[in-house]
Amino acid sequence: MLSLLGLILGTASIVTVLALFGGQTALTEQFLNEVGGRGTIIVSDRERSAHPGAQELASKRLTFKDAQFLRDRAGALAAVSPGWSQSLSYRVGNTSFDGQVIGTVPDYMAINDIKPLVGRYLSDLDVRHQARVAVLGWKYADSLYGVATRAVGQLVSLGGKNYTVVGVMEREEFYFAAWEDNALEYRNERAYIPISTAIAQHSAVDHLDFLTLKGRPGVARGVAQAQVRSLLYARHGVEDFDIRASGQGAGGEAGQFLLLFNFIFLVVGVVSLITGGIVIANILLASVVERVREFGTRMALGATAGAIFAHVLAEVLVVTVIGGLLGLGLGTALTGVVAHFMQMPAVVSPFIAAVATVTALTVGLLAGLFPALRAARLSPVEALRYA
Amino acid sequence: MLIQGRSLAKTYRLGQVDVAALRGVDVDVRPGEFVAITGPSGSGKSTLMHILGCLDTPTSGSYRLDGEDVSGLTGKRLAQVRNRKVGFVFQTFNLMPRLSVEENVALPLKYRGGIARGERRARALRLLERLGLAERVGHRPDELSGGERQRVAIARALVGEPAILMADEPTGNLDSASGAEVMRTFAELHGAGHTIVLVTHDPNVAARAERVIQMSDGRVV
Repeated sequence: MLSLLGLILGTASIVTVLALFGGQTALTEQFLNEVGGRGTIIVSDRERSAHPGAQELASKRLTFKDAQFLRDRAGALAAVSPGWSQSLSYRVGNTSFDGQVIGTVPDYMAINDIKPLVGRYLSDLDVRHQARVAVLGWKYADSLYGVATRAVGQLVSLGGKNYTVVGVMEREEFYFAAWEDNALEYRNERAYIPISTAIAQHSAVDHLDFLTLKGRPGVARGVAQAQVRSLLYARHGVEDFDIRASGQGAGGEAGQFLLLFNFIFLVVGVVSLITGGIVIANILLASVVERVREFGTRMALGATAGAIFAHVLAEVLVVTVIGGLLGLGLGTALTGVVAHFMQMPAVVSPFIAAVATVTALTVGLLAGLFPALRAARLSPVEALRYA
Repeated sequence: MLIQGRSLAKTYRLGQVDVAALRGVDVDVRPGEFVAITGPSGSGKSTLMHILGCLDTPTSGSYRLDGEDVSGLTGKRLAQVRNRKVGFVFQTFNLMPRLSVEENVALPLKYRGGIARGERRARALRLLERLGLAERVGHRPDELSGGERQRVAIARALVGEPAILMADEPTGNLDSASGAEVMRTFAELHGAGHTIVLVTHDPNVAARAERVIQMSDGRVV
């Protein structure tokens, strides 16, 4: 029966769209977790105002000393990592290219949840002695030495200065669906050197691009941010810095992005519900005229409005329930096929199944009962002549 | 008197205009009569028929059917009268396409309530046999010829043993051979004592009736 087909297709489309899109949302959430880090705070330079006052001119802005100061004094923080980054020329033997170099401290590892594949990461001693040591990202180690693990103990020239490689980081990877590229490859294309060495060798002044901070577990991010703000303000005399929450969690840009994504998911969901509903209603209502006339004949034979209603209800219930369930099955199968080909995680959650079937049933019932309701208000003659 | 209609009038509202389809009609039909109502298009003959068959209600006037005043009835009560007192045959047959011939004929009994399925079946089969349609019992309407379909419709109209058999242009959609077949059936039923009222614009059909009521412009002439 055509109405059964309409219900199956309508329900299946709702299920498939919701499941696939929901899968995308889940994937994006995972990615943002990897990239954004959890609950970090980022302090960055604020742009100079148009008419800087004396305090502003006197302030040295963000420095390595600020980082050390916060590390010692900010009780709410568990880790402080200065951000210093420059593009320098790499050279080993005949291979050379320009790439990112990050000047930092041992805390960087904890904050970003990464660890070495071989060798070690930077140590406090390295920082104290401005040692010329470097930890390479996997891709650069691979490019410079042929085999990533062979890099340890070798020399590499960064910005014209020689460094000893003391470690190689694990390869960070994340793959979206059927996209072949590693979305996190950029994190494997860099080298880490001690911040003190970076400033001494490659910077004229002690100035940082940003600070990454991590609050102690159990401390609310807002509390940590407030503490950092007041400490730095006391040091600088002026608020020439910005503090923002990073990554996941309230206020973080990833959190906001996800909120947007979830909102889009909601919109897509509603649109798919409406579309599915229209498919169902359209097919069921295509035969309104025919059905109302049929009811007219039945009324002419002595059927009461109640009898007709009961008869239609029974019929419509069967069609919508069977159609809804079959549609759910078809939608789940379709989702599985597409997810398999696209290598996406897409699951038909109980929530999605419930939403789809309830929508299909409701629309199906309303559209199916509509002709009966129409006919009930008419005399047999009017129903027979319905157009 | 089986049918007693007095000053029957019916006005429709068509957009902004009121259309008077019946302008005060008196009509009497005695038990066992075979009456034909004729007239040109727009004369109000179908409207009168629908009122007499309780498919519609008059705007004013009174109507007694089989001793009962039905002019004020509505809803469930009127449906009951339709079911028990009237057997209606339509020009377009109006059979249920998804039901078998037997199920079609038994349908009025289903709406009567209180008759078991087996009994409904039995009555339907008896009638179909009487009308010579015994071989068509399990078929669908779309497997039947026009004449056969109308005779199934007649069986359906008779299954509830109504006081009156009414037909609106019963041969209108049939070729002359099938039409003749159907009129023979009516004649036989009349001979067996049934009261029949039919509407037609075909003078040959009208000629088969005992009495002819002519209508023009909403009135009897």
